[in-house]
Amino acid sequence: MSLAIIGCAEVPTKRDPERKRWDILKDVCVRAIQDAGISKDDIEAVLSVNPMAQPSMALDMALGRIPETLGLKGCKDICVLNAGGASTTNCLRLAKSFLDSGWAKFVLIPHVTVQSDIPTEALINFFATAPLDPEWEYPYGVTFNGAMGLITNRYMHETGTTPEEMASVSVGLRGWAALDPMSIFHGKPVTLEDVLNSRMISTPLHSKECNFLADGGGALVVTTHEIAKEMGRPAAYELGHDMAFMGATPVLRSDVFSREAYRSSSRGALEKAGLGINDMDLRQIYGAYPYTQCSALEGYGICEIGEAGKLWASGECGPGGSLPCTTMGDATGRGHTGSGVSMAFYIDTFRQIRGDTGERQVKDCEHAIITTAGGSVMNACTTIYGRSAT
Amino acid sequence: MSEYLKPLPVIQSFSQPFWDAAKDGKLLVQKCNSCGSSIFFPRDRCPECWSEDLGWIEASGKGEIYAFSVTYEGVEKAFKEDLPIVLAWIDLPEGIRMQTNIIDCNPDDVSIGMAVEVTFKKATDDINLPYFKPVSG
Ligand SMILES: [Zn+2]
Repeated sequence: MSLAIIGCAEVPTKRDPERKRWDILKDVCVRAIQDAGISKDDIEAVLSVNPMAQPSMALDMALGRIPETLGLKGCKDICVLNAGGASTTNCLRLAKSFLDSGWAKFVLIPHVTVQSDIPTEALINFFATAPLDPEWEYPYGVTFNGAMGLITNRYMHETGTTPEEMASVSVGLRGWAALDPMSIFHGKPVTLEDVLNSRMISTPLHSKECNFLADGGGALVVTTHEIAKEMGRPAAYELGHDMAFMGATPVLRSDVFSREAYRSSSRGALEKAGLGINDMDLRQIYGAYPYTQCSALEGYGICEIGEAGKLWASGECGPGGSLPCTTMGDATGRGHTGSGVSMAFYIDTFRQIRGDTGERQVKDCEHAIITTAGGSVMNACTTIYGRSAT
Repeated sequence: MSEYLKPLPVIQSFSQPFWDAAKDGKLLVQKCNSCGSSIFFPRDRCPECWSEDLGWIEASGKGEIYAFSVTYEGVEKAFKEDLPIVLAWIDLPEGIRMQTNIIDCNPDDVSIGMAVEVTFKKATDDINLPYFKPVSG
C-alpha cells in the first residue's frame, strides 16, 4: 500500500455567502489537478469529503456530479465518505485502496463547506443534535463548546495547567493563522490578554478558544509512491498510519482527553514508518479545541503529562519556536469549515513538506506527524508523511 | 405550568423503566445480570458481555462531580432562559458516569469533586428529568 500527495488547492477560509458551493468546488478541483501536473482525464476516481449540514451538495457528490461537471473522462468511479471531521482521512484511506489495487493511478479528493448561508439557529441545532444522544445528552442543553469546556476543565484540574497556559495554546494557533492567507484570521494575531479577556462561552473556554464557523474548500490529488517518484515532483509520501477509536459520546469514554489514543495511534504509525517521534519536524494536531494540542503532545511522548501547557506558554510550539505544532492553526485559528478542517490539515502538511508555506514554513520539514479526529473527538487517526518514500 | 419547549428525551422501550422510576423520584442504574456490569446509557444488550438479561437497581442518588462547565451562550433558543447552564458529569457510587445539569445553586460555587445528589424536575406529565444539586448542609 502506498500513497503520495502530489497536488492541492484551497480557497481562503471566510464567511461569504456570495461564494457558492459549486464555484468553490470547481475552482479547487481544477487548480489541484493543475498543481499535480497531470491532465483532467488522468483522474480515475473522485472520493469526496461529505459536506456536513449541506444535504443538497452531499447528494450532488454522492450521485456523481463532480466528474460529469468537470469532464473527467477517465473517471472510473466516485464515492462520498463521512466520518465528520475525519472524512478526509477516510478519503485518503480509500484512495490507497484504489491505488494499491490498480483501479486508479490518480485520485481526486475534494471538499467544500459553506455555512454562512445556513441560519445560525439551524447551525446551532445541527451541531447540538448531530453528535449528541437524543435521550441522555440533548435534553440537558449540551453544546460542543459545553462538552469540550467540561473536558478542558477536567484536563486543567488533573494536570495543573493554568488558564494562562491553556490560553497560550490559542495565542500560538492564532500566531500561525495570522501568517496564513488561507485563514479567516490572517493578519489578526491575539495576545494572552486578548484571549483571557474575551467573552466566557463555556467555562473555561473563552470565545477566542472556541471555533468560528466558516466557509472553505480544498482538494488533494494523490497517487502511488512509484508514480510520484517517476514524476519527480515534490510530494508528501505517506509512510505510516494507525488509528484508535474512543467512542461517540464523550461522557462514556474512559480515554477522556484522547491521550491514550494519541499514544497508541502515533506509536503504530511511527513504527510502520520506521521513525521515532523525535524524527518529526512538524506536529499537526486536529482536535478543534485547545486541550487536544496539549494531550496530543503528552500522548505522542514529547513531554510528560502536565508539561504540554508550559511548552505552549513558552512559545516553542508557535511561530519561531523549536517545536512547531499545528502550523495550520486548527479550527481555532483557521475557522471551522465543518468536515473540511482535516482537508486543510493535509493540504498544509503537504505544503510544509513541499516547502511553500511562506512565513509559516517549518525549516527543513522532512517529516510530519498529523492526527485528525471526527465527531466530538471520537477517534485519533495518525499519519506520518515524509519528503521521500523511504 | 407553562408548556415545556426544550427537547425531551427520546425514550426507547428498553429505557422506559428508567423514566417510569424517574416519575416516582427514583434514579435507576441498569445492571447486567450475567456479568454484573453497571450500564449507562441503558441498552437492550450488555455492551460488555452481550447478555440481554438486564435489570435495574435503585441508586442512592448521591454522586460526585467529575467535571463540569458553565455555559453562558451558544445554546438553542429553548435553553436560553436557563443560562447560565452548568453541564456536568457525575460519578455515581453504583459505577456509572452520567451527564446532567447542576441546578439549585450558584454556578460559581460548583467545583470538581463536589458531593451532589439527584433531584427531579417535571418536564411533562410523563417525564421527570433527573438533575443534580449540591448536597445540602
Ligand atoms: Zn454483561
